[in-house]
Amino acid sequence: MQKLKNIILLAAAVGLLYFLDRCLPGFWLTLLLLFGINSILAVALNITNGWANLFSLGHGGIMLVGGYTAAFMTLPVAFKRDLLDLALPGFLLNIQVPFLPALIVGGLVGAVFGSVLALPALRLKGLYFLLATLGFNFITITIAENIPDITNGPMGLRQFPAHTNIWWVWGIAIFLIYLSVRLRRSTIGRALIVMGQDEELASHLGVNLLRYRLYAFGLSAFFTAIGGILWVHLILNLYPRVFGLHLVFNVVTMIVIGGLGSISGAVIGAAIITGFVEILAPLEEGFGFFGLFAVPRLLGLTTLILAAVLIVILVVRPEGIMGNREISWSWIKSQWQRFRRPQ
Amino acid sequence: MDYFLQQVINSLGWGSLNAVMAAGYTMTFGIIGLVNFAHGEVMMVGAMAAFWLMVVLKLPFWMGCLGAMAGSIAVGLLIERLAFKPLRGAGMITLFITSLAASFGIRTLLIMLVTDKLKPFPIPDYLRGAILLGDIIIFKKTILILVLTFLAGAALIYFVKNTKTGTAMRAMSYDPEIAGTMGVNTERVIIVTFAVASFLAGMAAIFWGIKFGSVRCSMGVIIVVNAFIASVLGGIGNVLGAIVAGFIIGVGETLFVAYLPDQLVGLRPLFVWIVFFVLLIFKPSGLFRPNIK
Repeated sequence: MQKLKNIILLAAAVGLLYFLDRCLPGFWLTLLLLFGINSILAVALNITNGWANLFSLGHGGIMLVGGYTAAFMTLPVAFKRDLLDLALPGFLLNIQVPFLPALIVGGLVGAVFGSVLALPALRLKGLYFLLATLGFNFITITIAENIPDITNGPMGLRQFPAHTNIWWVWGIAIFLIYLSVRLRRSTIGRALIVMGQDEELASHLGVNLLRYRLYAFGLSAFFTAIGGILWVHLILNLYPRVFGLHLVFNVVTMIVIGGLGSISGAVIGAAIITGFVEILAPLEEGFGFFGLFAVPRLLGLTTLILAAVLIVILVVRPEGIMGNREISWSWIKSQWQRFRRPQ
Repeated sequence: MDYFLQQVINSLGWGSLNAVMAAGYTMTFGIIGLVNFAHGEVMMVGAMAAFWLMVVLKLPFWMGCLGAMAGSIAVGLLIERLAFKPLRGAGMITLFITSLAASFGIRTLLIMLVTDKLKPFPIPDYLRGAILLGDIIIFKKTILILVLTFLAGAALIYFVKNTKTGTAMRAMSYDPEIAGTMGVNTERVIIVTFAVASFLAGMAAIFWGIKFGSVRCSMGVIIVVNAFIASVLGGIGNVLGAIVAGFIIGVGETLFVAYLPDQLVGLRPLFVWIVFFVLLIFKPSGLFRPNIK
């Protein structure tokens, strides 16, 4: 019965995605893809920041490493060898790889890089961990900008093949959400959540803290890097600065608004922030309203409102929209019944 | 040798800036456990206020300086009231995220209002010029900045050690609850702390204007990281430590860049993070004793 339900749900999702892919006009399709990528980033960040209580601001650096690794593989040879002459090993310089191996290798490199560099940071607690990961972010961006032989410096890379489509994005997003839901009920997930709430208790229960921290960070970094790669092949432009604190701040806002620790909260937060940022983006450029009045350019308006919203949420409702609850069949049923028969 | 000495002397102005910022930073850090990333924006607002008074309204230099202090204190207290006060007792990470949001918000607002272009910061004639000592050039403005930094540092240390409010601050940095039960008006002490820290940020804004001759809206981004790392290096809450560490970071950074090959000068921001990681691995409590003493 349960299996049948899952198959029906999956088929419905595939049908819906096919329908959306065919019918949505360009802007809304891009919005949907960005929503999917942001969901991947938010759900992945939720594993460390929400469950394991390893509040990381270094995920921009991981996206950068993963994004560049994949970029070196998928860029056309004519661009990376003939035009820029990047100082890459020959086997990378002379071939152009399809998307799937680039995604996997980029994700793995991001995960390994994130874990190795997080190892010293993983010994730290709370605030110091956060600041060390912030440092990791700054350091990767600074280094990437200063090795122009390999990364083309602040100028960045272009001419990407437009690989990202609705199947890659939402396929990976749904897989990650499913994985997270299963993980939450598994030994590893429970160990992570206990560790996030009380480290001493967790270690008394036999949780190897360092190993589980590495699990959390590695898994989160893997999917974050994949999110970065998808993003690069959607925007078709890559330079180190985009992965700075602004991006991390947006993703952190998503999971804080949605509720730290909640998977459905992360997705809701991603939906809110994506819609908000992309719909306000035309407003930032300024426009005239039927010749009646002209709205001036308001660059930075989204950041300003986002910052204000984040502060208000932290003050008024620190647990976010979902708290640490999840949307499930039983939750919807109970809400519906409460709606039908108010006490 | 001359090159080295000249670099050290040139870096003293930048070191003073770091020291003054770190001293303000370490006070809020020690008292309510707040890593205040909006501190750089407090400084930036002060600098913008001074620019507005001196260039747009064409008021004299000293009015601009007063305006910088007033602007910084106003914005510092405003952030405290709107963002940090409702979150009293929340975790350090929540406070940090709030300060990050406040920092982004203020910076973006100012960039929207006055753009991120370099703005001139006129300085009076008696601050121009330099003194020659053998082969070494010392700018008059560097001497002024250095002297003012020492005066401010001495006054701050006296204030924290010898006055009643200072004693209350030190008590609060040990344990806010017990300080409260012993009759310390904790809210008032927090407001005084923020006012003093913001005053120092206003001073830093003036130093910045004198040293570089121009100010801009994104000036607080780098120095807030330096100030934070200096406050960890100096032992959290230790004012004297923060000032010394600020000079170490400022001078160290300049020397780091001075001895790098030319094509690697862009690596400048790495220096403070290297210091930070080395510090965390070998001596996480900082070079000096933590807490305001």
